[in-house]
Amino acid sequence: MRLPRRRFEQGCRVGAFALLGWLIGTSVFPSTSHRVEVARASDVAGRLASWTRSAASIPLHGEFSVTPEPWIVDWMRALARSGHAVSWSGKPPAVAISVRAMPDPGGGTQIDVAAPPGTRVAVRDEAGLIDSVRVVRLGARLVSPAVVGGVTASAGDQHFGAAPPDSATVKSVVVIGQASWEGKFIVSALEERGWPVIARFSVAPGVEVTQGMSGGLVLDTSTVAAVVATDTTIARYSDAVSRFVREGGGLVLAGPSSAARSMALLAPGTLEARYRPTMEPSDTIALGATGFYPVTALKSDGIAIEQRPAGIAMAARRVGAGRVMQVGYDDSWRWRMAGGSGSAAAHREWWSGVVASVAFAGGTPGAQLGSGNEASAPLAWMVDRLGAARIGPPTGGSHGPFDRRIFIMLIMILLLSEWASRRLRGLR
Amino acid sequence: MKSFLSAEFVFATVQYESGDWDSAQLVPPNIIDTIARYTEIIVAPTGVVVALAEDRMLRFPLLYLTGHLPVRFNDAERRNLKRFVDRGGMLFVDDHNHDVDGVFHKTATEEIARAVGPLIDLPNDHPLYSAFFKFDGPPTTSHELNGWGDNLVHKNLQAVMHNGRIGVLYSSKDYSSEWGYHPDNKRFQSVDNTRFAVNIVVYALTA
Repeated sequence: MRLPRRRFEQGCRVGAFALLGWLIGTSVFPSTSHRVEVARASDVAGRLASWTRSAASIPLHGEFSVTPEPWIVDWMRALARSGHAVSWSGKPPAVAISVRAMPDPGGGTQIDVAAPPGTRVAVRDEAGLIDSVRVVRLGARLVSPAVVGGVTASAGDQHFGAAPPDSATVKSVVVIGQASWEGKFIVSALEERGWPVIARFSVAPGVEVTQGMSGGLVLDTSTVAAVVATDTTIARYSDAVSRFVREGGGLVLAGPSSAARSMALLAPGTLEARYRPTMEPSDTIALGATGFYPVTALKSDGIAIEQRPAGIAMAARRVGAGRVMQVGYDDSWRWRMAGGSGSAAAHREWWSGVVASVAFAGGTPGAQLGSGNEASAPLAWMVDRLGAARIGPPTGGSHGPFDRRIFIMLIMILLLSEWASRRLRGLR
Repeated sequence: MKSFLSAEFVFATVQYESGDWDSAQLVPPNIIDTIARYTEIIVAPTGVVVALAEDRMLRFPLLYLTGHLPVRFNDAERRNLKRFVDRGGMLFVDDHNHDVDGVFHKTATEEIARAVGPLIDLPNDHPLYSAFFKFDGPPTTSHELNGWGDNLVHKNLQAVMHNGRIGVLYSSKDYSSEWGYHPDNKRFQSVDNTRFAVNIVVYALTA
């Protein structure tokens, strides 16, 4: 009976000392065949120099709760190019920012931020805080009269930003339709805001009243930013308008204009019968209070911009390089004329904003996704540089303090078992 | 009473507290007939009368005002006229007396000047005269050629300009008498004398 116990105790001792010796040996002469270097976002910067000097056979892994700074990602990318197996894991927030000078005579900078729903994003320029927004669905938009230097944003510990945009060039807006109050007051609003306007209003068969143009109508993105259609008269120009939009021009399909068959191909959705609420003669008129054409059956890439109880009042989509905005309102002029105090100015700002949102700006935005600006979409950029995230660090031999603790614990268990066995049989 | 708002062009005559605002009741149907006859503008078959003192007048961006008697706007009328012009509306005023020494002319021009600014002569090459039909200036009326009223042929219309557009168009020509007949009687004329009304409406709708 004593012999097996002695052998057990001997085995425990030998095992413990063998493990201890192996640990000491691997500490003095580290093996590179199974080691993985792991660092977190907070300490990865300090590890890069040693990673660079380590053998190429050692896998390198980052555990990131936020996307590291661009130069760190670049360095890791360089290590991957030099032969290291570089990987990362974690869930940094997917954020992005786009800063664009508005192609609006009034100037202004449009800042679009994308972040996970519920995230509060603070946006700053070099002069200080511009504003903060809580992202409801996918993103949020801010318009600032001016920005000083570059724009930075922060969502928790995640920081991202974009360079200041070039100034946008303001080009002409073409308004096409039958002679109507809606067309007239769209032209008035845009001109008062400072847009150069070319108008073409049909008043009788073969008779058009034109403004701001000589000769035929040429839709070219070098001179025209956007086309506004107030009714189905636009169908006469469908080929030119379609080509103009695909080349980057903007198109606003207001009122019933998208009911024209050729425009339906470009429109984000189709129009339902006009919603007509009743009104008292004394009612002050607000935008939409007199009804509108609800947009329905949105195309797969169509986005609802404004939703009202009676339906979608505005929707948008991209067509080729251009943008199309479908506006269900066909009598916004009533809001301007018979609205409350300041309605003329509000009507002016609103129409200018609609046109600016689709207008061909030309020039180069300060930052656009996919443009290679690493700070504007850090997670997307890191995925592009280092590949997609792993579930965790690569498996292998000793790749950190966690494994060593297991072996030390095993040594202690062996020694404790050996000691307990001896004590139970009466030895010291 | 609740109602829908029509998308059609509606010809609106202004009712003001003083004077005889309804002295040319045949003019609106005649102009409506002319618009329907020459253009594809969708026009309501009947006109409306709106009080200058009520906010509802702002729903009609082209207004027609005429009369023979003195015009004195009250505060609400004056305030609304200014709002109307500031927001882009156009008021067409015609002196039914054809008399620059008459009480309508003297008082109406005073009130217009007080509400929205002084009238100036409108050049005869203004886009108003080529908005649809081509005119070399304001067409003459039989009344001024017959020597009625002030016995003058007025070479220009007058206007208050607002943001480069006509805010108030003022006529001493007495178009209200010239156009005050039933549209069926146009068949007796070699040239339709209401054609200038098309220019006024088209200009208001497009400029």
